[in-house]
Amino acid sequence: MTTRPPETPAGEAEVRPAAQAIELKKTYGTGQAVVEALSGVSVSFGRGAFTAVMGPSGSGKSTLMHCMAGLDRPTSGKSYIGGRDIAALDDTALTELRRDQVGFVFQSFNLVPTLSAAENITLPADLAGRKVDKEWFGYTVGQLGLASILSHRPSEMSGGQQQRVACARALVNRPQLIFADEPTGNLDSVASAELLGILRASVDELGQSIVMVTHDPGAAAHADRVVFLADGKVVDELEGPTAAAVLDRVRALGAKRS
Amino acid sequence: MGKVTLRGMAAHKLRLALTSLAIVLGVAFISGTFVLTDTLHNTFYALIGSIYDKIDFQVRGVAQFPSQQAAGAVRNPVPESLVSTIKRVPGVEAAEGSVNGYAQFISKTGKPVVTGSEPTIGENFLTDPRLSDLRIVQGAPPTAAHDVVMDAETAKKYHFHIGQSVRVLFMGGNVASFTITGIAQYGSSDTLAGVTFAAFTLPTAQLAFGKTGEFDHIDVLAKPGADKQVVQAAIARALPPGVEVVTGQTVANEQTTSINQALGFFSTALLVFAFIALFVGAFTIFNTFSITVGQRTRELGLLRAVGASRRQVFRSVLGEAAITGALASLVGTALGLLAALGLEGLMSALGFTLPSGPLVFEARTLIVSLAVGIGVTVVSAMAPARRAVHVAPVVAISDRQEATTVRHARWLGLTVASRVLGIALIVLGLVVHQVALVGLGVAAFFVGLAMVLPSIARPLSAAIGRPIASALGTPGKLGRANSMRNPTRTAQTASALMVGVALVSAMAVFGASVSSSATASIDQAIRADLLVTAKSSGSGSFSRSLATQLSRLRGVTASLVVYGGQFQVRQSLEHLKGVPSQGFGPTVDLRVKEGSTAALAAGELLIDSSTAKSDHLSLGSTVRVKFAKTGPGMMRIGGIYKDNALIGSYLVGEGFFVSHFHNPQPGAVLLDAGGGAAGVARLQDAVERVLTNYPTVQVQTRSQFEKSQLSSVNQLLTLVYALLALAVVIALIGVVNTLVLSVFERTREIGLLRAVGMRRAQVRSMVRSESVILSLFGAVVGIVIGTLMGVALVASLSLSNITVPGADIVVFFVLSGVLGLVAATWPARRAAKLDVLAAIATE
Repeated sequence: MTTRPPETPAGEAEVRPAAQAIELKKTYGTGQAVVEALSGVSVSFGRGAFTAVMGPSGSGKSTLMHCMAGLDRPTSGKSYIGGRDIAALDDTALTELRRDQVGFVFQSFNLVPTLSAAENITLPADLAGRKVDKEWFGYTVGQLGLASILSHRPSEMSGGQQQRVACARALVNRPQLIFADEPTGNLDSVASAELLGILRASVDELGQSIVMVTHDPGAAAHADRVVFLADGKVVDELEGPTAAAVLDRVRALGAKRS
Repeated sequence: MGKVTLRGMAAHKLRLALTSLAIVLGVAFISGTFVLTDTLHNTFYALIGSIYDKIDFQVRGVAQFPSQQAAGAVRNPVPESLVSTIKRVPGVEAAEGSVNGYAQFISKTGKPVVTGSEPTIGENFLTDPRLSDLRIVQGAPPTAAHDVVMDAETAKKYHFHIGQSVRVLFMGGNVASFTITGIAQYGSSDTLAGVTFAAFTLPTAQLAFGKTGEFDHIDVLAKPGADKQVVQAAIARALPPGVEVVTGQTVANEQTTSINQALGFFSTALLVFAFIALFVGAFTIFNTFSITVGQRTRELGLLRAVGASRRQVFRSVLGEAAITGALASLVGTALGLLAALGLEGLMSALGFTLPSGPLVFEARTLIVSLAVGIGVTVVSAMAPARRAVHVAPVVAISDRQEATTVRHARWLGLTVASRVLGIALIVLGLVVHQVALVGLGVAAFFVGLAMVLPSIARPLSAAIGRPIASALGTPGKLGRANSMRNPTRTAQTASALMVGVALVSAMAVFGASVSSSATASIDQAIRADLLVTAKSSGSGSFSRSLATQLSRLRGVTASLVVYGGQFQVRQSLEHLKGVPSQGFGPTVDLRVKEGSTAALAAGELLIDSSTAKSDHLSLGSTVRVKFAKTGPGMMRIGGIYKDNALIGSYLVGEGFFVSHFHNPQPGAVLLDAGGGAAGVARLQDAVERVLTNYPTVQVQTRSQFEKSQLSSVNQLLTLVYALLALAVVIALIGVVNTLVLSVFERTREIGLLRAVGMRRAQVRSMVRSESVILSLFGAVVGIVIGTLMGVALVASLSLSNITVPGADIVVFFVLSGVLGLVAATWPARRAAKLDVLAAIATE
């Protein structure tokens, strides 16, 4: 990364976390068949920090992300993004929040097949009828090595390229927070490393806040902090993780459960 | 995953329902047509039966023109003295003569009584109740010269009561007052709407209809137990030449035949539209099955992988089609009963008066409806089923699916052609021979067109979508992209609409050309400022004295009396006009090409140039003619004039006309005011004052006359539009179907769009844009093709003007877009309501 990033307005220090959940509960179904996906999760994701969320299948890590990103509504509890309780928002307000305040990188099917890479990147801004900051767009695209494929359709890109376009879409908007849901799940090791490098750099160099759900200890090791979930609760945390340390905790959790 | 499956099944049910709808509507049309015509047939049959069952024989003049249909044939009257001759024939119980003619009640407000499209029939009241087809329901038969029996419908509608006085208008403008002595019904039924009558004493009727000492026919009753064949032979022996005796059954059959012919035409016309609707429906079914087989590729691959044979896969797809078709046909057949009522309503709204009777549901209706409905569905699903068979088992575990449809685009096109052509053959094979040929050509043409449509779908959608995308921003852009995404699907969906819009456009061009040609030819033919004509064709004449009175009005600078009647020329019955031998220059432009108008005075026949050309006649040829009054003869062609809208094909001089017709009556009087709008208006007022005593005669300016001449064209056009509207509705169901399937297919994509910030309103806008682009695509192609078809049709009919109604076409285009919006309403709402989480949840 050779070029300097343009000044970001989010650069000034804020005490408020990028996102925060308080006693978040989520249940599915009713009566006998009721399933509790989140049973009172309180967690906060720091501004300018890269947080990984880990946990076994069914631990509620995806549900937590959905509730905190405004994709789903918690049954009870509060969920803040940039100091705003999103549980109270109606569909339009939630949609606009996702569009303007949140960035997404999913495991797969991240891009609209009928749009080119450039159009996919500017999609949230276009939906908002907002002009894209050209300088910032050029910088991001350059940083992610996408300049040569901007006119390509998703079907003409590799999996790694698609995920990088998704990252660019999230970054170009300069959101409060980027949620990445298993972003490396469908990638080979080279592409995975590349993508994690991009996420890491955007935190370090641009001060972006990122939350990444993953079950790969290697991926989690790129984060500043790892939050462990099991049975709908936060069970553990690890600052400055290494792959080995994460693996140890995962094993410990597994042992506790069985 | 369970949720996804359930959603898939829900969409599946929905898809079946939508597909069925296309069939349901088409089949309902077919079944409705059958039910309606069967009902009408039975009602007429019962009515005619009830009238002619009573009489054993009818004695009447032989038909003057053998080429004419027996029921409405021109016959000379028979002498009154024949009744006593017949009564003396052994085996005859009773015989009574009747005369009939034009008799029009005048309402209390001075307007002619109108209960239906037919004028009132006047006749003598038969004194023998065993022979009379009238049944007195109130009051008594007429006994005095100024007594009249009125039909119940007129009495009811115009509030006439027994003992009241009523004025009756007769042929020639004579009006007389009568006292109502009785109210009667016709036959056993009171349901024959539209036919009204006035019954008088015999002397009054004979006097009024100019048939003193004569009868139109004599009705005869045989003695009970007598051998009817023997009696008929005995009557025949007693008759003078030119008079015949036929059984009541024969008369009934003649009437039935003529009604059946009219109904046959009617039902063929309706069936043509029903099959158009089904043809359009076939596109929808084909499209739906193509899409679903495409979407189920994985499932089919899995079936094949676990051991299903190709035959089993084929059968499962066709089985689904057969069940869909059967269910839809049953519903459609039942709906046909409602459709019959709707069609009846449509007809009467347009002025066709039909009798009412209980709905008739024949087994044939069910059988044909089921066969056609199931047939169309199964044949339409044949190609998609074939494609399902070719799904390789390996597809079940591979990932890419959408590519297959693109890869098979060309192959699909060919399949469309062969299969849908098959449908056209089946469908059209059921229709009358000639119509079938025309229909087959058009169907094949459309299929051929549908085949090439995918290749232009992408660029055309792109072009149509550009303004929409720039107006609506990102949702419009995505809608446009979606419409370009699968050209085969877009083309298949638009094809159905294309057919409907093309037919509508072709009719519009046809109608506009007929109108402008007629206007132009009237302008060329008529120079006079005013035309005086009878209001309805049934009473198409008025008296010579009225004509004289009109031509003497102040302000008339020139006038012309045009006589009209029928004669037989070269074995066919034709209209003949008669005009004075000279002085018609200021009122009619008779552009004589060969010969001269002097031929009119010489008693020679003048013909128009089209007839001369088609019948290979030239100046000086002689033709065989026959008149009801004077019998057969030969006439020399004394002149050939350019085609003339007022005169028609055959023209003679006034003197010749008057001497060759029983009761020569003017058909029209042309008056010229010497130009100047004020003069014309003053003269029109003067004429109208004279006509207050002649309620069936009207005066029109040339442009009013043109408009009234075109009203029947416009009425027909309205009817055709109404019937074609069904095809367009079915095409729109196809659009709805495609959109719902596409939305289902793009669940994840829509979820992603929602996740990254697309509002619900924007999702709806996206789906609507796609729908409007699809619809406009069909409309554009349809309008282009339809206009070309219309122009070809008009050219083949060698009409003088080819007119493309630009404004109408713009309306069709805009309307298609609006209908596209309507079609998108529901799919758009479904798309907007998609649960974001369910859509983006990874498996």
